[in-house]
Amino acid sequence: MCTHSFRHRKTGSLRPPLALAPMKTSLRDLRFRLLALGLGNLRDLVRRFSRAEPALALVLAFAAAHSLSAAGYGYREKPEPPANPEATLSPPAGLPPGAPPGTNAPADPYLYYANTPDEMIPFRNIEPYFRYWTTRLPFRGPGRDYPVSPGLESLKVGLLSPASYGPEGARGERTRHGVELAFEEANAARRPGELPFELVYREDSPQWGSAANIAVEFADEEVLGFLGTIDGDATHVALRATLKLEIYMINTSDPDPTLTETQIPWLTRVFPDDRQQCFRLADLVVRRHGCQRIGVFRESSRPGRVGVMHFNNYIRRLGFPPVQHLFFKPGDRDVRPQIEALKAADLDAILFYGQPEDVGRFVRQFRAAGIQAKFFGFDRLKEDSFKTHAGDAAEGTIITYFFNPQRTDPPWIEFVERFRKRWGHPPDVYAAYGYDGAQMMIQAVNHAGPNRYLIRDYLANLDTYDGVTGHMIFDGRWDNIVPISLAEFKNGAWHFQPAPPITPLEQQKLSQR
Amino acid sequence: MNSAPPALRPFALALGLVALVAWPSPPAGAAAPADHSPLPFPLIERFENYGQAEGMPSAKVHSVFKTSDGRLWVGTWNGLLLREADGRFRRIGPEDGLSHEMVLCLAEDPTTGDLWIGTMRGLTKYSGGRITAYTQTNSGLPNNVVYGVDVLGDTVWAATAAGTGALNLKTGAWKLYDHTNTVMHEPWCYSIKGAQHLVYIGVWGGGIIEHDPKLGSFKEYRDPDRDFHYDLVPDDGPINDITSWLSWEDGVLWQCTYFGFSRRDHRGWKTWIEGKSPLLSNFTQFVWPHRGVAWIGTDRGASVTDGNAWANYSLTDSGEGLIEVHRPNQPVERRVLATALANGFVLGIHVDDREAWFATSRGLSRGVFAADNPYQRPATVAEVR
Repeated sequence: MCTHSFRHRKTGSLRPPLALAPMKTSLRDLRFRLLALGLGNLRDLVRRFSRAEPALALVLAFAAAHSLSAAGYGYREKPEPPANPEATLSPPAGLPPGAPPGTNAPADPYLYYANTPDEMIPFRNIEPYFRYWTTRLPFRGPGRDYPVSPGLESLKVGLLSPASYGPEGARGERTRHGVELAFEEANAARRPGELPFELVYREDSPQWGSAANIAVEFADEEVLGFLGTIDGDATHVALRATLKLEIYMINTSDPDPTLTETQIPWLTRVFPDDRQQCFRLADLVVRRHGCQRIGVFRESSRPGRVGVMHFNNYIRRLGFPPVQHLFFKPGDRDVRPQIEALKAADLDAILFYGQPEDVGRFVRQFRAAGIQAKFFGFDRLKEDSFKTHAGDAAEGTIITYFFNPQRTDPPWIEFVERFRKRWGHPPDVYAAYGYDGAQMMIQAVNHAGPNRYLIRDYLANLDTYDGVTGHMIFDGRWDNIVPISLAEFKNGAWHFQPAPPITPLEQQKLSQR
Repeated sequence: MNSAPPALRPFALALGLVALVAWPSPPAGAAAPADHSPLPFPLIERFENYGQAEGMPSAKVHSVFKTSDGRLWVGTWNGLLLREADGRFRRIGPEDGLSHEMVLCLAEDPTTGDLWIGTMRGLTKYSGGRITAYTQTNSGLPNNVVYGVDVLGDTVWAATAAGTGALNLKTGAWKLYDHTNTVMHEPWCYSIKGAQHLVYIGVWGGGIIEHDPKLGSFKEYRDPDRDFHYDLVPDDGPINDITSWLSWEDGVLWQCTYFGFSRRDHRGWKTWIEGKSPLLSNFTQFVWPHRGVAWIGTDRGASVTDGNAWANYSLTDSGEGLIEVHRPNQPVERRVLATALANGFVLGIHVDDREAWFATSRGLSRGVFAADNPYQRPATVAEVR
């Protein structure tokens, strides 16, 4: 029973509903019968009825009039309730007084979702039936009044880390260093009588579902929240378990754009995701470099699939869909068929997605094969293994990156110094976001006390946060949507460009919450 | 009575016929001043609540299920409860063999009466007082987190965080269904329901999968929008690909998501969204179909609907029970009840002809039906058949 109409975003004009209003079954049957009769022998039917008692004609005319008056295009399935007959009634729990019952506040421009540029929003010229994430979903369950567990000796926080022997093991180790540093500093700053923090460390295994089991272990350990992880699959699985276990999760390094699209109000992600990188890359490739024949070469995996998904959509909306979209398996050495296909496509640009050593190897092979296209990639290409494998072929590659690690503001410089002193090497982005995520959790526990629900409320209501990685802005999905940076590999080194400034429009996005 | 001029009769009749055929008819009750037809579901007149003061071992209750022998089972954060004849609850915990204290879901084997219990760490069978635990290390269970369980014929189906497991009760053999041998993109399965010869699997991010075990076939139902920003048009398929729960009864499939609620029947798909329909909240987490209507658990209360008429049970900020009855094109009937659900965060429901049970985040609630209970009317032809 659709009441929908499409409102043009520019003109505001209403189009008629796409479908007719549904019919009452009995009348529909009658109409079909009449239609069949009428089509078969309408003239005979009319003649036969006209000889009959005139009352029949009146009955038919009355029925038609009834249909006319009652049909009413665009009738509402849910009529507006009359003025509240019992004015003393409170609104349903969970809604602020005076709030509308739905979350479909039409907004022009549509802002509170992922900071997506207007021209890259799908179906942007029509008003969809319903928009999600125009407000943040609250957690409406109880728990905020739960007493503190008796005999509490420490404030436990979990860290879900990738398996040390898996493909993300080294990055997980760097995350752990950042997280541990934050908790060591927090414990050093505890005053007498304050409970210390205790990090409960668990390693995931490269097997679907193990992260769910670890989330249960965290619950058994009575952690107040947990951090993790890098692998998108594991993070998804753990997130679903957190909804049942009701433990808040801060993700510090999973770039999967679908992670936060699950409407589970128990997650904040401090790590800008692949969606942020995709629309930056789309803008860069199409607008700034004027590329029109664009190819995508990515790892055949779930991270690869969801990683480039939005790039393909965005360049299509900018008028230049990918002319080639080819895959490789992690560790592939021989990609000659793909090289031939990409070469034949006469591309202006190629976007790579994969582990840096794989992409480095392919970049070298592509250049050796005579491919002249400009190369673009994601943040991971900044890791040394890319330039090691790519050699001179890395020259001119442009990537998106979260922030400029060569910046000199005091929070970053001081963090680098403390980190180097503790671990003997400088931090990378995994360590830095791990540190910021841990600091956010520490801040939440300090603010809310040892109650998971109050910790959730604190974290889920953060609009901004200033960490060592820079300023963060959280959208309706609890994702950090701060504009990200770019880097170009020139003369054997990465040269960073400053991130675009936060515009008044982006500030307005937050004010709409 | 004056007759119409004979010359005009054919013209008037033709006009009337054309108008009748061409114009859409009103929805049920659209023009009537008041619809006094009985609702297709009973209304709850009061709630009886059971919390920790009444012997519940935890505030949070995940599931409730009444077996065919009339016994009530309750899955809580701290063990499984059996309601004794005297109304007291007996707890069964890990110390009795339960695979984990947090119980997520319950199902009965209609042939044997065995109870299958999905927990956060394994699947447990309760058979005549004997408890057997199945985990991913001692059996073919795909993952220890068992979100959904159902029994169809000789097979127990378990929806887990890493695929669906099927235990053949005759042979003891397990079969695993995941992204390697089905149409699943990811193996994150969150609910399962046997439907005559079919099995429906609710998949996180994969919509709904219809599986025919005999044919070995898989069919996918996905949200045609394929984007999470919005619902582009209503009634075009599942409201969203993230299925949080599903159920099936008599050819009708119901889907819960955190983006709204969906139904598929012989006419196709129908979707409901908060604010555009009487649905209490887009965050729907459980559905229990009974006699053609769906009882829906949301984060804001419980609803019952046949798709046209709705009754919503929620709480006011002051904790009063609130009932809203929505009939198509009629003013909403809204009134305060003497009692309320234990909590608006409803995680599980069991309804039969006599009563409704609700597992909530702050205890168990029993809904007592008003005297005018349509389930107690004489059986229809369809029911007899």
